[in-house]
Amino acid sequence: MEPQTKRWKGSECDSDSWVAYPVLSDERSQDVELIEAFAAPIVNKKETSRLIRELSGLYPLSSLQHIKRVRAVKEKGSPHPLEVLVCLVSDAPDTRAVTIRSLLPSDGPQCDGLGEPFVVKVPARPPLTRPQFELASKHWPTSFHEDKQVTVALRGELFGPSQKSHMREYMLSALTAAKAGHELGMEAVGAVVVDPVEERIIAVGHDCRGHHPLHHAVMVCIDLVAQSQGGGCYPFDRYPACTFNPAPNSDPIPTDPDTEASSQPYICTGYDFYVTREPCVMCAMALVHSRVGRVFYGTASADGALGTKYKIHTQKDLNHRFEVYKGVLMDVYTCRESVDHVLRKSC
Amino acid sequence: VVAVAMGTEEESFSPSEEETERWMCSAFDMAKDALENGEVPVGCLMVYNDQVVGKGRNEVNETRNATRHAEMVALDQLLDWCRRSNLDVSSVCKRTALYVTVEPCIMCAAALRLSNIPVVVYGCRNERFGGCGSVLDVSSADLPHTGNTFKCVSGHRAEEAVEMLKSFYKQENPNGRLFFLFL
Ligand SMILES: [Zn+2]
Ligand SMILES: [Zn+2]
Repeated sequence: MEPQTKRWKGSECDSDSWVAYPVLSDERSQDVELIEAFAAPIVNKKETSRLIRELSGLYPLSSLQHIKRVRAVKEKGSPHPLEVLVCLVSDAPDTRAVTIRSLLPSDGPQCDGLGEPFVVKVPARPPLTRPQFELASKHWPTSFHEDKQVTVALRGELFGPSQKSHMREYMLSALTAAKAGHELGMEAVGAVVVDPVEERIIAVGHDCRGHHPLHHAVMVCIDLVAQSQGGGCYPFDRYPACTFNPAPNSDPIPTDPDTEASSQPYICTGYDFYVTREPCVMCAMALVHSRVGRVFYGTASADGALGTKYKIHTQKDLNHRFEVYKGVLMDVYTCRESVDHVLRKSC
Repeated sequence: VVAVAMGTEEESFSPSEEETERWMCSAFDMAKDALENGEVPVGCLMVYNDQVVGKGRNEVNETRNATRHAEMVALDQLLDWCRRSNLDVSSVCKRTALYVTVEPCIMCAAALRLSNIPVVVYGCRNERFGGCGSVLDVSSADLPHTGNTFKCVSGHRAEEAVEMLKSFYKQENPNGRLFFLFL
């Protein structure tokens, strides 16, 4: 192994070659689900508003609020300029041959003005991200309420150069701790807890499971944060790389509990965790219980619970959710290895 | 006096009905005691070889560490007990049962897997955080790098356990924001 304990500088790597990608919920990251519907050409353009009104009365398509009822036909030379959604295939009357007459009851909307129906595929659910929106729109015009931050994050552009240099510094501290732990025979995992408002490191810890099977780096850091607030329950003095900075305003003693709620640090509320590799189920849920602000990690892990096996930070039933970003400082992880290996990893 | 072939005995390790009854009775006594003292009404004990080697109550408040659930405290006591008795932790864990009045949360369920506890007997479901089926099923999930799966025996005096939780949450909570962290 390396002969000294100096900090990893990662100087042989381009400091901007890594990207922090958001780990989004399954709903936000899955493919666009499609559902079959009947559409029909609008033969007479002047009838459009009447047709929309009458069709909406007959087939409201209430589960497809995100779908536009009418689309323009893009192909040049099309005999009709517009097409309208009539109904879902599953809502259509059960007949052998589907005609526009069979879809509309005799006392309902008049079918003159509509051509013969054909099957189209439309997005079953509202798109939640720009990539989903772009895919959905290829099938049928879809409306989209964009979360700009998610769009920027998915492009890997959420964090600017100065934020990235801070993130780099924190992750390097976590890597340095991981290395220190590894030299003591522990798993090479490190973590750093940061107050992002004050840009202050609250705790640095590494895996200590050689002495306690549950002392994963995240669990160690959670207890070090508790110690920074006058609590905690484990002595980590024998690990020089496991440290904490006491909360600066642990006094004065507040007189009413509301003041306390606002001014005192409270477990890990609002703190960022930098972890060299994706936390396991125990650690991920410990982060939920600790009300962490954001989690940044480097590599994925096989049983990881913030993206790989579970996405506990997006679990709907839980009372606290947080943002997770992966890939932080991946260049330091990979640049020491052969190009082949890097390429294989990135596929 | 005990001379059972280890192989077969290990596979069939599971508490008898009589043991379940007896140890859950102690767990419920602990929970009741906690409720009467204004603490989270969860009773939890770890039993190895017919003796209690770990006993826990929720310590989130005093430690400011949100992971100090009763099960985690009990696991720490088990480790201490092994050290004092000079016994190997993993061989003790393999033959230890956890008795707890409420389903362990996702974190504790994963911790029990990592500790290789083979069986958990619990009272009521934990609808908010349960890791043995209520929110996630960590106890039986395919997680080859997260210890071993464990067997759950659920529903023992479940209504009673729920009633204790309800009356606890009904009380005015002097610590306000710690409210959510109790299980
Ligand atoms: Zn872990
Ligand atoms: Zn728990």
